[in-house]
Amino acid sequence: MIKGQVVSGRFGEIVARVKSDVDLELGELLTADSKAGKVLLQVYDLVYSSQISQQNLELISGMNLEESSDFEFMDAKLRNYELALLKSLVTIKPKKVVSSKSLPTFFSEIKEITKEDVTFLTKPKEPLFLGNLRSGTRDLNFPVFLPAEKVFSHHVLITGTTGKGKSVLMTNLIWDTIEKESCALLVLDPHDEYFGRNKKGLKDHPSKKVCYYTSKNPPTGQKTLKINLKCVKPHHLSFIDFSQPQRQAMGLYYKKYGDKWVEAVILEKPLNVDFNEATISVLKRRLLSLLDLDFNDTQVFCEGIFSLNAGETIISDICSELESSKTVIVDTSNFSGQTELLIGSLVASEILRRYKNYKIKGEIDKKPVISVVLEEAPRVIGKEILEKGSNVFSTIAREGRKFKVGLVAITQLPSLIPRVILANMNTKIILGTEMNSERQAIIESASQDLSSDNRSIASLDVGEAIVSSNFSKFALPIHIPLFEDMIQKQKKEEKEDSSIKTVFSGVKL
Amino acid sequence: MKFAHMADCHIGSWRDPKLKELSILAFERAVDICIEKKVDFILICGDLFNTSLPGIDFLKRTTKKLKELERKEITVYVIPGSHDFSPSGKTILDVLEEAELLINVVKGSVKDDILKLKFTINKKTGTKITGLLGRRGLLERSYYEKLDKKSLEEEPGSKIFMFHTALSELKPIELEKMDSAPISFLPKGFEYYAGGHVHIVRDETLEGYKKVVYPGPLFPANFSELEKLKQGGFYIYNHGKLEFMPINVKNVFLLQVDAHRKTPQEVFEEIVDVIKNHEFNNTIVLLRIFGKLKSGKPSDVDFKKIFTMIYGKAAFFVMKNTSKLISEEFEEIKITASSVEEIENEIIKENLGQINTSFSKNEEVVAKKFLEILTTEKKEGEKVYEFNKRIKDELDNILNLNE
Repeated sequence: MIKGQVVSGRFGEIVARVKSDVDLELGELLTADSKAGKVLLQVYDLVYSSQISQQNLELISGMNLEESSDFEFMDAKLRNYELALLKSLVTIKPKKVVSSKSLPTFFSEIKEITKEDVTFLTKPKEPLFLGNLRSGTRDLNFPVFLPAEKVFSHHVLITGTTGKGKSVLMTNLIWDTIEKESCALLVLDPHDEYFGRNKKGLKDHPSKKVCYYTSKNPPTGQKTLKINLKCVKPHHLSFIDFSQPQRQAMGLYYKKYGDKWVEAVILEKPLNVDFNEATISVLKRRLLSLLDLDFNDTQVFCEGIFSLNAGETIISDICSELESSKTVIVDTSNFSGQTELLIGSLVASEILRRYKNYKIKGEIDKKPVISVVLEEAPRVIGKEILEKGSNVFSTIAREGRKFKVGLVAITQLPSLIPRVILANMNTKIILGTEMNSERQAIIESASQDLSSDNRSIASLDVGEAIVSSNFSKFALPIHIPLFEDMIQKQKKEEKEDSSIKTVFSGVKL
Repeated sequence: MKFAHMADCHIGSWRDPKLKELSILAFERAVDICIEKKVDFILICGDLFNTSLPGIDFLKRTTKKLKELERKEITVYVIPGSHDFSPSGKTILDVLEEAELLINVVKGSVKDDILKLKFTINKKTGTKITGLLGRRGLLERSYYEKLDKKSLEEEPGSKIFMFHTALSELKPIELEKMDSAPISFLPKGFEYYAGGHVHIVRDETLEGYKKVVYPGPLFPANFSELEKLKQGGFYIYNHGKLEFMPINVKNVFLLQVDAHRKTPQEVFEEIVDVIKNHEFNNTIVLLRIFGKLKSGKPSDVDFKKIFTMIYGKAAFFVMKNTSKLISEEFEEIKITASSVEEIENEIIKENLGQINTSFSKNEEVVAKKFLEILTTEKKEGEKVYEFNKRIKDELDNILNLNE
């Protein structure tokens, strides 16, 4: 379908006259011919234009409004029209697709995109399904995939204003990753929304590869979140703003009392070095609150998820599950943000430690990529927190990809994340963002040139996104399907074999 | 309600006859204590015997003690464990149950592939007891997945749940590679959760589960357990109060030497010094030598002479462990798995997906079941052709070849 015609402009700012009976939208994908092949174009702005001078247009409008005249144009379609501003995405040649380096033929027709035009968007090995290709608001029903292993090891940023579909997108991504042998996700879930205790969720995945840890009434087969106090080491608390003397005291307690250092602080056991009394008191108070502990003269008591006896292997269990390509969801909805991040820090540190070891031993290739899903990511990789020192999450952001450990950072405020970290996030999934400062932060660090997409990003509706990735040829506009539709699709594809009965040998029936 | 909770008696374990004897001795002592303390009943949470078909001598002595308990009207409730369970469902426990010397509480019915367990009621106290057996490689997991928990939770009265499974939440760090299941598989609201399988002494309360107890073995089953636990024991639960009853069948002495930067001769001399200063009368002596030798190799330490010296001081038994003793000249070999079962599981996991089979989806489970069946021993009196047929039938069942 012809939508318009190229009439002027320059590279990156092609102007097309829009056919009058056509409804062209921001973000719409179009094609035009060029000498080099077919050029894939995208609308990034729309303006009115007219053959009549602005002065006369205003006069006619005045007559209509003030004098109730019924003035009409002759040949209205020819006199007044819209102009679309387009940018070239790629040039499709018979055997390959390349970045556009030339203009479409002057006066060439611009056409609506068809599925055949985008057949070059092939399905990679271990594909990660992002959504369907979108042209404006139209879902082209053409699934878009990126290579899962590369995407997760090179970090992902998911950004957008509340309510635009970040959680649905993340749930879809996790659902699609569950069965992949090459990837595993650790999801720190502060809203307990992914597993789906009382609604449809990841628990409904047929593969049984989802492990769920919660401190409250775990469903059958899922684990109670109990972490042994011995697992906590001073370096796990690096994201908390302890003062230098407090950090030194923790270090010395750990050196002297080993994995019983927390108990030693709480019971104020002696150190070989003197510290200001206030330093130890504040440290003790903060640890009591952070780890939800209580004490008497001789003993420490655990009130929350930390325990003196249980949970010795929980961190190791989580890491082993991840190494077996399972998805692990940790429900942190009952804890403060700091406790949540401490749990994340405990697991992430152990994963990184193990994977560094595998790399040294030459075993890393056999291991799946592990990615840590972090909600409200600036809490740990924000400028403010990183000014006080690095933590395991910033280390992963900087060097994790060498060890196949990645981050999926979710935030509505990407501008709070330092530019150097944003630049390291090689796939950005951008949902509707109203705040200009946030849009600028993404545009400036995107893998493709999105400088002309400011308006398109602002106008993204619920469930619409733009994916800018090092692993795609251009910034992909996508439509995110509803999670329920994802489940339905899978159910149709899978037929459960209900004929297999369990043999309960050893049970006297 | 006053009862004894024991597990992992492993009667007939240990290769050496002297130590084998200690496993039955520990059981006899435990029974004597139960009679003396006048318990209402006894729970044995799996692995009463080390195999499903124990040697006749051990069976005879066990039967004698069980008979003694029967005369005193102390009922014994058991569940089969990973050692004394047989894939065919037939173990010596069945024989003892037929003779009314004990009661296997793993009873129930299956409807629509859901397992509904029945309670066994202790007549003396009215306590309702049920539980699930343990199998090698955590094969009982599928039972828990299909367990009707609701009916168990809704049952009124004082209830005990027996299990022979490692719980993920309570697993000690040294057993991190052991297969385990989460506690959420167990029904909630029971008065007591009597555990077995993991050789740890633990009494813990988790949300919804009060008194989750592992008594550990009656007698340690290997070098590391002797080293760590020194002795076995069991619990007596008396109206809400829990008391651990240690069973000290022999004293244990740990002789530990750090060989770091020492020559074999220096290590030898250090051990000899310790021997000279101690008496080992009727004691199990554990020699643990670790570290990197400055020169020579571990075999240069004259252990033969050391053993002779220790036995010369009337030791009951001497064992050595030099797995962490290395020399400069040799590269360290790391052994991550610590039991045969763990090594088997590791190997299975490493080789999954190598070949395409009709059971590719359940490869791990099928492989474990195969291994379990193939380790089954021929029963006494069973003809070779009968044994072959039994094994073949069980294997065919797994592969659904009989359908």
